Amino acid sequence: MIPFQFITAFLLIFMGLYAFLYKRNLIKLILALNIIDAGIHLLLISFGYRLEDGTLPTAPIYTGYETLKGTPMVGPIPQALVLTSIVIGVCILALAMALTINAYRHYGSLDINKLRRLRG
Amino acid sequence: MKRTLGALSLLFILGVLLIVASPNYGLKFGLGGKDWQAHRYTDQYYIEHGVEEVGGTNIVTDIVFDYRGYDTIGEATVLFTAIAGAIALLRPWRRDENE
Amino acid sequence: MSEDMGLIVKTTARATIPLIGIFGAYIVSHGHLTPGGGFQGGATIAGAGVLFLIAFGLSEAKKRYDHHVYSALESLGGLVFLGIAMLGFSVAFFYNILWRNGIAFAGKPGTLLSAGYLPIMNLAVGLKVFAGLISAMMAVATYRRWKE
Repeated sequence: MIPFQFITAFLLIFMGLYAFLYKRNLIKLILALNIIDAGIHLLLISFGYRLEDGTLPTAPIYTGYETLKGTPMVGPIPQALVLTSIVIGVCILALAMALTINAYRHYGSLDINKLRRLRG
Repeated sequence: MKRTLGALSLLFILGVLLIVASPNYGLKFGLGGKDWQAHRYTDQYYIEHGVEEVGGTNIVTDIVFDYRGYDTIGEATVLFTAIAGAIALLRPWRRDENE
Repeated sequence: MSEDMGLIVKTTARATIPLIGIFGAYIVSHGHLTPGGGFQGGATIAGAGVLFLIAFGLSEAKKRYDHHVYSALESLGGLVFLGIAMLGFSVAFFYNILWRNGIAFAGKPGTLLSAGYLPIMNLAVGLKVFAGLISAMMAVATYRRWKE
C-alpha cells in the first residue's frame, strides 16, 4: 500500500506535467511549474517522516527543552532543504513573470504557438 | 501523434514513480527504530546535539544557519540575482525612452 | 477608473496590515525558538505589502515605495549576514563563536537572548527577503518597457 503522502505528491506532479504537455498559455505554464514544485516539496518532506511503534513523532522543535528531550522527532534535514527550495521557487516565479511580460509586449499574445515567429 | 507520445511518456513516468514509492522493493515510508538509526543517522545527530552545539531550540533553524550555512549563502545569492534580473528585464531602457 | 478596491476592502486592509506586520516580526524574532525563521517571516511581511498594493492601488503604493531605500535594505541584509558569518573566522567560516565562547546572546536554550548569532542572522535574512519580495512585486506591477 503506497502511503497517501506519496500519492498526493504524485498527483500534484502529474497535474503539473499534464499542463506542461497540453496547455498553450504561458501563464498556465508558470502555474504548472509551481504545481510541480509543490509536489516535489511534499515528496521530499514525506521522506523525512518517522514511524516509531505506536507513538506519533513531533516536529523537530524543542519548545520547552527539558520536557521534550528524547521524544522521537521527524527528520529536520529535508525540511531545511525544502525551505531553501521554496525561496528559489519564488525567484523562478519572479523571473518567469518578467520574461512573460516582455514576451507579451513583443508578440502581443501569450499563446506559445504564436511565439515561434521572430519579429522586430 | 504528439498527444499519444505525451500520454505515453506520462504513463511511463507514472510507472517509474509507482515502482520507486512502493514499500516492498522501493523507498520505505516512515522509517523507525533500527532502520532510522541505520539510514538517517545524520538527522538523529542533529536532533540530539543541535541544541547543545548551536543553541537554538528550533532544529531547522540550526541546520539552515549553522550546519548548512553555505546553502543559505548560495540561496541568498540566488534571490538577489533573480530579483536583480527581473528588475533589469522590466525597467525602461534608455533606448526605449527616446523613441 | 479608480484604482483602489472600495471602502470595505480599504478599511479591512487598514485594520489588518499592522497585525500582519507584527505577526511577521514575531516570526522573525522568535525564529530560533518556535516554528518560523527569517524566510517565513520576511515573506509574511511582504504579504502585508502585497495587500497594501491590491487594496489601495498602484498610485498610492508608488508614493510610499522608494527604489533606492529597498535596494539599500536588501544589500544591508546580505552584508550583515556575511559579516556575522565572518565573526568566527579565527576558527572557521560559519563558526558560532557567540554561543560557543559565551560572548553575547548566550542565555539558557529556550530564552529569547540565546543561540549566538542565530537571532541576528534571522533578522538579516528577514530584512533581505522582505526587501527582495517587495522589490520584485513593485517591479512587476510598475515597470513597463513600453508606453501605455
